[in-house]
Amino acid sequence: MKVALLALTSATCITFALLCGTPQCSAAALSVTLLDRDGHGVEDAVVTVTPVGARIAVPAVKSAVMDQRDRAFVPRVLAIGVGSRVEFPNNDSVSHQVYSFSPAKRFQLPLYKGEVHPPVTFEQAGLVVLGCNIHDTMVGYIYVSASPYFGTTDAGGVLALKDLPKGDYRVAVWSPYIADPAASLDRAVHLEADAAASERVVLQLPLRARPEPRPRRRDWDY
Amino acid sequence: MRRAPLLALLVLSTLAARGQDRLTLDGAVDLRWVHASGETSFQNGGLGITRFDPDHDGLELGRALLAPNLRITDIVSLQGVFDTYGDHNRNPADVSEFYLDIRPFPWNSVRWRARLGAFYMPVSLENRGVGWSEVYSITPSALNSWIGEEFRTIGAEVEGRWLGASHGYLGDFALVGAIYGWNDPAGALLAERGFALSDRPSTLFGYLGSPPLDFYHEIDHRPGYYGGLSWRHHDRLEVRALRYDNRGDPAAENAAGNYAWHTRFTSLGARLEPDAHWTFIAQDLDGNTAVGSDNEGEEQFYLKMRAAFALASFEWARERLTARYDGFHTHQLSGEFGPRNQDGHAWTFAFSHELGEDWQLVAEWLKVASSFPPRLLLGIAADQTQTQFQLAVRYNFDLRW
Repeated sequence: MKVALLALTSATCITFALLCGTPQCSAAALSVTLLDRDGHGVEDAVVTVTPVGARIAVPAVKSAVMDQRDRAFVPRVLAIGVGSRVEFPNNDSVSHQVYSFSPAKRFQLPLYKGEVHPPVTFEQAGLVVLGCNIHDTMVGYIYVSASPYFGTTDAGGVLALKDLPKGDYRVAVWSPYIADPAASLDRAVHLEADAAASERVVLQLPLRARPEPRPRRRDWDY
Repeated sequence: MRRAPLLALLVLSTLAARGQDRLTLDGAVDLRWVHASGETSFQNGGLGITRFDPDHDGLELGRALLAPNLRITDIVSLQGVFDTYGDHNRNPADVSEFYLDIRPFPWNSVRWRARLGAFYMPVSLENRGVGWSEVYSITPSALNSWIGEEFRTIGAEVEGRWLGASHGYLGDFALVGAIYGWNDPAGALLAERGFALSDRPSTLFGYLGSPPLDFYHEIDHRPGYYGGLSWRHHDRLEVRALRYDNRGDPAAENAAGNYAWHTRFTSLGARLEPDAHWTFIAQDLDGNTAVGSDNEGEEQFYLKMRAAFALASFEWARERLTARYDGFHTHQLSGEFGPRNQDGHAWTFAFSHELGEDWQLVAEWLKVASSFPPRLLLGIAADQTQTQFQLAVRYNFDLRW
C-alpha cells in the first residue's frame, strides 16, 4: 500500500512537472508575438513582462556573452537581467575598444583582442548602447531588465515565457529598429494560475532599416 | 640620431602587449597592364588628362605602398603612408600621409577626434581604401583626382561627432574643422592643365606631372582653413559638405618662384548603400582660384572650377561592377595665359574580382572627351578624346603585432 501510494505521488509529481515545468504549479505561461505592419514576425526584439502592484522578484544572476565578429557586436541585441555579468570576447581579426556612456552603465574596455577583460556586471536596469571607439559603425545594445520575465523574440517574432505567478503585468517591447513610440506598444495583461495567455503586438510604423555591414576588411575611415 | 633609442624604446614598450594590434602594417602592390589612346599625358609633357598615354603604356607599376600604424597609447596612434608610383618623381619613394590620430573615449554623446600632421581632408566619398585608394574602380573621379593631386592638410584637424545611437537615433552627425599651412601652390596644376582622371596623387616631397610641380610650400605665411559637416545614417547613407579656403595671398611668391594661389571651393556629396549590393555616390565641387598681384583686377589670373560625378556600383559574391559619369569645367575670367577654359566629360566602367583574401583583379575602361584651348599652342586641336584600358593585379597584406 505504502509502495503504491509512493508510486502514485511520484506519478502525480511527474505529471505536474510535465504540465508546468516546475513544482510551483500555480504558474502561468505567456506568449508574446510581435508583428510588423505586414504581419511578419519581428526578430530580436526585447520583451519585458513586469508585475504590476506586486513585488518584482530579482532576476537570477546569470552570465551572458556579447561577442565581436566581422566588425559587429554579436548578438546585436542582448537582453539580460539586472545584476548579470557579461563577457566581451573579441573574436574578430582586428582589435576593438568597447565603450558605453549610457546612464545605466558607463564603462570602457581598452584596446584588445581575444578574452582579456573580466566580465562586466550590469547593476542598473535600462538600455546600454555599446560602441567601438575605432569602428564607428559598430553599435550593440544590452537591455538590462529589472523584471525576471524577459527575453528576445525568435524568427517568428514570438517569445514564450512560463512560470509567471498569476497577477497583472505590463508587457513592453523594444528594438532599435522599431519606429513606433514605445508607450504605444505597452500592453496590460492579466494572467490566471495554470493558464496560458497570449498577446499580440502589431507595429503601426514601418521598421527602420537594419544595418547590413559589408565585408570591408581593409576600409579606412577617410 | 640621439632620438633613435628613445623611439625604439617607445616601439618596444607599446609592443609589450603582443597580439593587441599595437603595431600594424598595411601594404599593397598594384601592377598594371595599360592600353591608352589619344594625346600625350600631362605626366609626360602633354595636356592629356589621363595618367597613361600611347607612349607610356604596357606593363606599369600602379602603386606600391606601406602604411604602418603605431598605437602609442590607447587613444593616440601614429599613422604613416609611404608609397612609390614608379614614375619620374623627385624621390623613388615618398610620404603621402603622416599624422597623429587622437581619439578619446566618448564620455557623453560627443566623440572628439583630432589629427595632427599631414593627411587628406575628409571630402572624397569614393577613396576609402588603404592609403586613400579608390575602391570602386582604379581611377578616381575628376573631382577627387584633383583633391589627391593638389591638396594635403598639413596642420591640425578637430572633429566632434554626435553619436546618435545612444539617443535612439540610428545616425551620427559630425562637425569638422582644420587649420593648415604649406599648401599655397594648390590650384597651379588645375590652371595649367584643367581637371584630369588620374590615380596618381601627389606626395609630400615629390613632383607631379611634366613640367614638374610640387604643392607643399608655405609662401604667404597665412594659414588656411576648412570646415565641414557629415551625417551618417547607419552604414547606409553618408552626406558630406565641406568649405575649403586656403586663404592664399595671390601676391605672394617665394624665392624659388612658387606663387601662393588663393583657392576656395565648396564640396557636397552623398553616398547611399541601400542594401548589401548597391552603392550610389554623387558629389559636386564648385570654387575658384586666383593668383597675381593685382588684387581682383583685370591683371589677376582668376579661374572658376566646377566638377561633379555620379557613380553606381553593384557588388555580389567576389565581384563588383561600377559605372561612373564625370563632368568638369573651368572658366578663366581674367588674367594672362588664357583662355584656360576646360569643358569635359568622362565615362568609366570597372569590374573587379577578389581572388581569395589578398589578391584582386580589376579591369577598367575609361573614355574622356575634353576641350582645352591651350592645346592649340602644342599644335593639336583643342578638342581631344582619350581612352585608357587598365588591367590591375593587386596584392594586399596586413601584418599585426
